[in-house]
Amino acid sequence: MRGLRVYTIFYLIFLYAPIILLPLFAFNASTIIAFPLSGFTTEWFAELWAAPAMHQALRNSLIIAVSSAVLATCLGIFAARAATRFTFPGKGPIMGLIMLPLVLPEIIVAVSLLVVLLGVGINLGMWTVILGHVLICTPFSIAILNSAFLSLDGSLEEAAYDLGETRWSTFRLITLPLIMPGIISSLLISFTISLDEFIIAFFLTGTEPTLPVYIWSQLRFPTKIPSIMALGTILVALSIVLLIIAEYYRRLGVRKTGGKDTGGFL
Amino acid sequence: MKPIIELRGVNKYYGDYHALRDIEADIGEGEFFSLLGPSGCGKTTLLRTIAGFEDVSSGTVHIGGKLMEGVPANKRPTNMVFQSYAIFPHLSVAQNVGFGLRRRSDLNAPAKQALIEDALDMVGLDGYGGRAAHALSGGQRQRVALARALILKPKVLLLDEPLSALDKKLRDQMQSELRRLQRHVGITFILVTHDQEEALIMSDRIAVMFEGRIAQLATPQQLYRRPQSRQVADFIGVMNFLPARVTGVQGDAVALEVAGLGAVQIAAEQAPGGAATGQASVGFRPETLTILFDGEAPKGRVADGVIDEVTYYGDMTYYAVRLEGVEQPLTISMRNVFGRKVLAQGEATRVAWDPGALVLFG
Amino acid sequence: MDARTRWGRFSRSEAATGLKLISPTALYALIMLAVPLAAIVAYSFLTDGYLEIIWTPTLENYAEAWGDPLYRQVMLRSLMVAGLVTLATVLLAFPVAYYVSFYVRPGRKSLWLFLITIPFWTSYLIRVFLWKVILGFNGVVNSSLMGLGIIDEPLTFILYNVNAVVITLAHAYAPFAILPIFVALEKIDRSLLEASRDLGESTFMTFWRVTLPLAMPGVVAAVLIVFIPTIGDYVTPQLVGGPEGRMIANAIQLQYLRLDNYPLGSALAVSAMLIVTAVSLIFVFLNRRFLRVKQ
Repeated sequence: MRGLRVYTIFYLIFLYAPIILLPLFAFNASTIIAFPLSGFTTEWFAELWAAPAMHQALRNSLIIAVSSAVLATCLGIFAARAATRFTFPGKGPIMGLIMLPLVLPEIIVAVSLLVVLLGVGINLGMWTVILGHVLICTPFSIAILNSAFLSLDGSLEEAAYDLGETRWSTFRLITLPLIMPGIISSLLISFTISLDEFIIAFFLTGTEPTLPVYIWSQLRFPTKIPSIMALGTILVALSIVLLIIAEYYRRLGVRKTGGKDTGGFL
Repeated sequence: MKPIIELRGVNKYYGDYHALRDIEADIGEGEFFSLLGPSGCGKTTLLRTIAGFEDVSSGTVHIGGKLMEGVPANKRPTNMVFQSYAIFPHLSVAQNVGFGLRRRSDLNAPAKQALIEDALDMVGLDGYGGRAAHALSGGQRQRVALARALILKPKVLLLDEPLSALDKKLRDQMQSELRRLQRHVGITFILVTHDQEEALIMSDRIAVMFEGRIAQLATPQQLYRRPQSRQVADFIGVMNFLPARVTGVQGDAVALEVAGLGAVQIAAEQAPGGAATGQASVGFRPETLTILFDGEAPKGRVADGVIDEVTYYGDMTYYAVRLEGVEQPLTISMRNVFGRKVLAQGEATRVAWDPGALVLFG
Repeated sequence: MDARTRWGRFSRSEAATGLKLISPTALYALIMLAVPLAAIVAYSFLTDGYLEIIWTPTLENYAEAWGDPLYRQVMLRSLMVAGLVTLATVLLAFPVAYYVSFYVRPGRKSLWLFLITIPFWTSYLIRVFLWKVILGFNGVVNSSLMGLGIIDEPLTFILYNVNAVVITLAHAYAPFAILPIFVALEKIDRSLLEASRDLGESTFMTFWRVTLPLAMPGVVAAVLIVFIPTIGDYVTPQLVGGPEGRMIANAIQLQYLRLDNYPLGSALAVSAMLIVTAVSLIFVFLNRRFLRVKQ
């Protein structure tokens, strides 16, 4: 058992190794990303702040991530509701097709969409990236919402209906509030997937780069790399803060509905 | 009896599965009515059909004289207490109880508040309105569910196994409380249960269901004393069966030859399922048989037997007695009167029995 | 019953409600996934005529994709890298999942899972690039080892080759292996392990005969979750693989975006899909047999 514990700690060090390097090089006063470190500077953060292309890419990414998260979650609500409450002909194949992006290398999603979009004559841009991201986020959204719908006692909805509410007001008053934690995690996960997704954006973005596409273009220029490290540091800090907030609300939700805490986010 | 619910030829299919078969019943105004049967017998399906959660495949349901076809659950004058109680976890106790009042535009907020308080008071939860629903105990949840359903003054209250989640002591207490509540509000209660004791204690009338069919619809006493079939007799309480042969049916009298007991004549009402000459069986409840202790004189007829097994319950002793020439031992329950000894296995004994207590099954 | 009442019955039925609900999502998947996939399958049978596509069905693209030693090598390498990464990831992840599930107090488990997942909420590109920094000529590994006097000159076999790709991907997909195994281990009823000990098995044999077979569904899920995306990964081979570390996604990207040869690119993409499907099916099948023998 002690051996297992030591191993696990080493494993965590392995997991964290690259992340720990990020702030080191972000504050390192040298354009060369190598040891030994040469001194402290905040120059790279200033450079990042003054790069309009980065701001534009960030704005694009946020627009795409928010739109994809909202659209994928809406599609996810429909599909998860249908999958958990109803049986209908062709359910297996239909759900299989919808969940397919989970087991399809992203490059294949990217090239197949590219071929069709160009074939139809649609100009590439943020919209086309959103189309691709909704496709890959929906299965994750469905997986999360499925468990939210499954843990919802069906007699709660029947009770509301029995007490005189309509189907729609039952959904609004009972179902929606009770699956809200699932909807929020679906939005968060979809947002994160879209924000970090590179290959589909790389193929479908045209002249409006997302943040990962921008980072990719900068990695080729050694002098730009320190500011990318600074950007990475900011992103890590932000995502940790976001995760802690999300976890806090998840636990709050669990406590509020009187359920048992069954573990983490995913 | 003025019926509030009329079921006529109700059938329900799920694909090929025949869940309800030709259900015919009238349920009276102000009656405490139970649907009793083993799991999968269709009792919950029938309840949900009345509630409007399931539509019938054929036949009709009338509530208060109105045909219910096409009337959804939210428009029916029935309300339901769910097996899981279905207390909305994100709402307070008062919000749960007042849930159905949201659409009542004829009431202002204070009037609604007063109704909620009355309802909570009625189920003994006054002062609990502000509590969070998920912090309640099982018994309290059930009271909230009752108050929430009764606040809408339904014509019929439907209860789906409402006591099955409670422990024994609380269940006993809630049984009498439910009965009292029903008398107090005076509306029809329809209770679904698989617990025959619960049904006997609480109901005015009981419909016993097997495999989608109503096997017998009667008062608790009729069901216990004159079950129409061996299946019903077996399901409600304990019944001893002995093989028998009907030798003649004449007017109001039936002549029998019972294994181990000999020839006997009974009244026709002792054969509620009908009688015809040929092979049959008879049933005795354990308490209708009496073991004769030393010196006791029999009131009715007597048969000889040997004690096969003794089960001591404190206030009662259950004996398994093997009669001469009968393989299946009979179960006999005897009250442990002070000063009376408990017999031991292997002792010879005499069993007194009364032909009037016997039930004939065709 | 005439057609209208029959339709009326159907449109109120459960099947109709389910179909109505699923239709937006299903239509989206149909237009954005099924049609595009069909399109690249169709493209893979056409010929690239420089300025236009020649509309005569042909198998030439497949002949080239499977016959040309260059592409064949790329496909075999992808398969090998994905296999190695999967093996390494799952083997390394199992003890961690086991530790968290069996030895961490229930109240602390979500904290541990939290700690394990945090690194993966960082930009994937930056994480891969950092491995380039760690493994590089003047990187963390080399400068540390030289500083400690273990080596005299930088190791060169750890960057721009298959090794670097395997290490980087094994890091990138670690939580995807840990989580499903953890979930499977959590589901094991602890009294089963006590029963096994009670029946006289040692700790190790209990693990071998009870824990491991019951954890197999999680392991299977972990293998598939790691294998499928790694075989199609583009970023890692491109950044740390060097010329001899290129994989199938790089070849597909080259055909589409650089050489503009859609038919050959499509043939490569379809081949990649076939490989993924075949390997997954073989794995699931073998596993089913293994599990059955075990039972």
